[in-house]
Amino acid sequence: MAFRQHVGLQKLSALSGRIRSSVGPFKNYKFIQDESSGDSVLVCSCFRIIENLEPACTVGQLVYETVRAHHQQYRTGSGCLLFLAGAWSHAALDSLQRGISVQHIITAMSEGIDICLDACKKFSVSIKDLTVMEKCTAAPGGTKKASTNVSTEMANFHDKCLSKSGQRKVKFSRHFCETKSGMLSTVRHPDQPDMIVIAESLSHGCEKTMKLAVEAAQMLLKTNQQHISDPLFDISKMLTCLVSGLPEDCACVVEGCILLLSDEQAVVAHMLKQQSLKVALITGDLSQTYRHLGFKSLPGEQSVREDLDLSASSEEDEWVDKVVKLLLNLEVKLILTAGLVSQKVIRHCCRHQILVVEKVNSSVLKTIGSSTGAIPVNYATQLTESCVGDGVNVEIWRDLSSYERKSLTAVNISTGRNSGLVTVVVTSCVHGKLQALEDQFWACAYRLHHALKDGALLPGAGGTEVLCVHQLQKQAEHNRVKDSKTGSAANLYRGLVLQLMADGLIDYITAVMVNTGRCSAASARTIVSKQLTEFHRDEISTGKFLQLVSQSKREDAGFSAAKPDETPTLNIYDNLSVKQEAWRKALDLVFLVLQTDAEIITGTGQKNEGNLMLL
Amino acid sequence: MSRLVKKSPSVCTDLPLNSSDVCNKLRLMKELLKSSYGPTARLKQVHNDIGGAVVTTSTSSVLLQAISCSHPIISLIKGSILNHVSRYSDCGLFASVFCLSLIEEAGRCGLRKDVMIRVYKHLLSLCTAHLQQEDCGCKVKLDFCSSRSLITLARSVIASKPTCVLSEPESAHISRLAVQAFLLTVPCNIPDKVRLGRTVTIPIEGHSVLESAVFSGLLLDTPENISLGSLCSPLRMVLFSASLAGDLSELGDGRIEVHQGVDTDSQILDQLLELGKQVLKDEVKLFVCQKVIHPVLQHYLRCNGVIVIERLGISLMEPLIQLTAQPVATLHTTIPRAAYGEVHNVSVRQFGSKTKIHLHPAGKTTTCTMILCHRNETMLNELKQLVCQKTEHVLRLTLREPCALLGGGCTETHLAAYIRYQSKNDVSESSPVLSCSQTEYLLAAEAFCRSLESVATSLEHDNGASLIDLTHAHHWTLPSDVTEEHLKDATALCGCGVVQSCQNRKWSYLNTEYAEFSPAPLLTAAPLQPTVLDSFTAKVNALEVAVETANLVLDVRYVIQDVN
Repeated sequence: MAFRQHVGLQKLSALSGRIRSSVGPFKNYKFIQDESSGDSVLVCSCFRIIENLEPACTVGQLVYETVRAHHQQYRTGSGCLLFLAGAWSHAALDSLQRGISVQHIITAMSEGIDICLDACKKFSVSIKDLTVMEKCTAAPGGTKKASTNVSTEMANFHDKCLSKSGQRKVKFSRHFCETKSGMLSTVRHPDQPDMIVIAESLSHGCEKTMKLAVEAAQMLLKTNQQHISDPLFDISKMLTCLVSGLPEDCACVVEGCILLLSDEQAVVAHMLKQQSLKVALITGDLSQTYRHLGFKSLPGEQSVREDLDLSASSEEDEWVDKVVKLLLNLEVKLILTAGLVSQKVIRHCCRHQILVVEKVNSSVLKTIGSSTGAIPVNYATQLTESCVGDGVNVEIWRDLSSYERKSLTAVNISTGRNSGLVTVVVTSCVHGKLQALEDQFWACAYRLHHALKDGALLPGAGGTEVLCVHQLQKQAEHNRVKDSKTGSAANLYRGLVLQLMADGLIDYITAVMVNTGRCSAASARTIVSKQLTEFHRDEISTGKFLQLVSQSKREDAGFSAAKPDETPTLNIYDNLSVKQEAWRKALDLVFLVLQTDAEIITGTGQKNEGNLMLL
Repeated sequence: MSRLVKKSPSVCTDLPLNSSDVCNKLRLMKELLKSSYGPTARLKQVHNDIGGAVVTTSTSSVLLQAISCSHPIISLIKGSILNHVSRYSDCGLFASVFCLSLIEEAGRCGLRKDVMIRVYKHLLSLCTAHLQQEDCGCKVKLDFCSSRSLITLARSVIASKPTCVLSEPESAHISRLAVQAFLLTVPCNIPDKVRLGRTVTIPIEGHSVLESAVFSGLLLDTPENISLGSLCSPLRMVLFSASLAGDLSELGDGRIEVHQGVDTDSQILDQLLELGKQVLKDEVKLFVCQKVIHPVLQHYLRCNGVIVIERLGISLMEPLIQLTAQPVATLHTTIPRAAYGEVHNVSVRQFGSKTKIHLHPAGKTTTCTMILCHRNETMLNELKQLVCQKTEHVLRLTLREPCALLGGGCTETHLAAYIRYQSKNDVSESSPVLSCSQTEYLLAAEAFCRSLESVATSLEHDNGASLIDLTHAHHWTLPSDVTEEHLKDATALCGCGVVQSCQNRKWSYLNTEYAEFSPAPLLTAAPLQPTVLDSFTAKVNALEVAVETANLVLDVRYVIQDVN
């Protein structure tokens, strides 16, 4: 067993090398081409790169499985995960080459990640503190928010605390509580600007997209009349609508649900606008042949007919007639289905001025259902009076026909009062870019969501990483000193592995800095080591640390995503839980691969490679 | 036109163990399994060659099943070990490594096979007799008054699978949960026939292991927008196993002729709605089906305030029947009163994005649910499928025989020392009985002891040395970067954590010769608690399986293969 050249770790390291140029806020687009079919996709985020590369090797599958799970939950941080998995597998390889045993590496690296996660916890900034702090630092610069005055903000901050305790007292009486919240919703709550500050510090170079996310989040809070002291918004009520052909600046946030309709449906929509409509929600397909999931139709069924009736219409026609008659009886004017709709149904419905929209997101069905009283059903024939909801509006949002060759109309379906849905329209002239833009939006929205959920943020722009490097190096040094006293080799190994882990983090920071295009790898390293020596010189506290980070950032604008000519007035922050999870998952990957020494291939075909051993 | 192909004659191979090819294969298999043994094992990635899912594991049941063997001797070994694993869940790797070592050692010492077989058999009976003795030095009585030894036992099983990537507090948490779940499945009042309950395990990916928990009662999947409303306790419930999807899929391939204009689907649906009406009349509040329920029926029931749960799945049927003490309702007649069951209460629990409905039983229950969380699919799979099921089984085995064996290789070294000592002493009596010379007897005994020790050595994978102390015969490991002197100074512990090192202790490297001695019992006033324990029942059986399989393999004279 040749541990000194662990193939699995090398593969992991190589795989993560593919995304080196895609970590951090500055990403380049990549084309991924399928040689067999000639198809190609334009990708930007690290997750999409791995997804489209479809790694076939065992390590690749493990990586994809991990990254996919992370992406589904967080929508951001996949690059960080993958990069560190590579960097730390490199550290593990280095350790193996120096003759450190697998067990020692695992113990030391577990200690290392504990140090890092502890540091994250210790140096995270709570959102409350952050708002006050940011305003103090931002105001003297005076460029961004000239209107916000520090002293009033501080006063507000105290007021807020007061009003909080006040609320708690009256909460026992629901009458008081209701009036209170009613009153609050009209007044601009002091908490509201928080979100803007947080969002700006989390935008990581996507200021425009983040602005959309903030707008959407605030609109959601407003329409749901949520208790405003809790700014956590329900991200499942946020939707995206992709429109190609419009320039990117046209992206906007709209209250309600924006759906794209074909020509003939648009005609119906035109007739239905500005009316309060009855709506039916269908979770299955709207066609005669559709059966619910789990239904097996009989293979041996034959129909027998005694007399030949040529005039009889087909079963499908009968079914369509029945459905349309039912809909007319119930006065339903709008049908939203999660599944597909047969062409015949669409045509019949159009004739009767019923608007049918297919492939609607299930969270839309749920929300519209709860705000109109409509109950989603599986079959159209199942509809009764009680399942039909009332009070839905269809507005023509925009006619996009002129931009696209095929005609397209966007309608806004809302329930007037508080539909609770917010759609973000993502636009681009280049069709292939839409996916990347949508990903970018979700990354921003989820970053904001998780920040509010965690209630805390981490110093960004590499600050946390530098801090962790510092802590790791301190511990490594500590081990080295202890080692020289006691003479045990175990500590020496531990120190070495911790140092290598720290190098992995430094590698990450430099990669991010190099990707900004403003400094070379060498100068990036110099900046990092300068920061580190500053750290080492004086023991740091949270406040001092933040100051250091922001100072050094002003010195080297290379880090921040802001344009070099503007002085960055805001600090950059990262998500706490996302980063912690990504790091932990990265190390999990390294551990799994590091401990693996063999592949067992079952059901081998005849194409055996030379180095396979047969049992 | 039929074509006749001349059959080639069967191939007969003489003395298969003499062929170098077979020996190489056995050695490779031993290396493979040996490297997967113990808490610091190396993992294996199992996959097929057409890009199927990759399983990362070090568990014998998966590894052995993945080995597609080309030689009948290997399939023989594989089969008997897998059979052991299916009955006891634990000690599969121990049995395989021991068995393969016995075969290898037998080949090395060059004695006649029949002598080897007789001596092995004799020594096995010595071992089992020793292990059954009250005062056996490597046996620990389990104390059911405290959960400590049970947790240690569970933890040893959980920690032996590094694929789970558990930290110290995490594995402690999981072992506590495993013991808790086990205790919940033991009925409180003992009727004449004790029947253990069930633990249902629900995996949830993407959460911290420390969020795992055990609940009494059952947790079932439910649609997220469930509203419980006001439900009075107890709730009457009904359970179906037949599909209520409204199809006739259970008819088989028979042909049905239907008149034109007759809509079978709607007629079946009408029948289903009849059923719904009756259920409502009988005030059923919980309607559960193993398979699909027709959405129209679901809708009807929900509108009338019934909680509907469909697609329960076969694996949850048995625990649910146990929990609610009800028969499964059928569709043949109207539902009799006796077919209804009861639950005391229901509540909704949220785990990440998953909503679960928690059924609290009416009386005391032995059914419980374990929610297992882990960050990664691979690690979660290993934790659920292999580790937790295995732990449950191992804990159950303690009810049969309330003792455990010292883990960490100490049982193996102890047995080896004991056998060495015993065989030296009874050589003059035993050798005539086994009809072999005294030298032959001693050589074969040495092979047996070496095989036992090689299992203990297999626990070390990082080039460390394995040692045995010459008083209690416990197993010690010395990392590759530490000198032997260091072992004396440090407050080191043996593999199982019972013996502490001290100045005047003597060690010998395993697989080197040392003067035989009788392992001394531990006679300290306050003995240390063992930190690693192995299942007694599983290990004793594994020992027997290993020796008997090895004997069988040694006994094979010819292999006759049909090559057509």
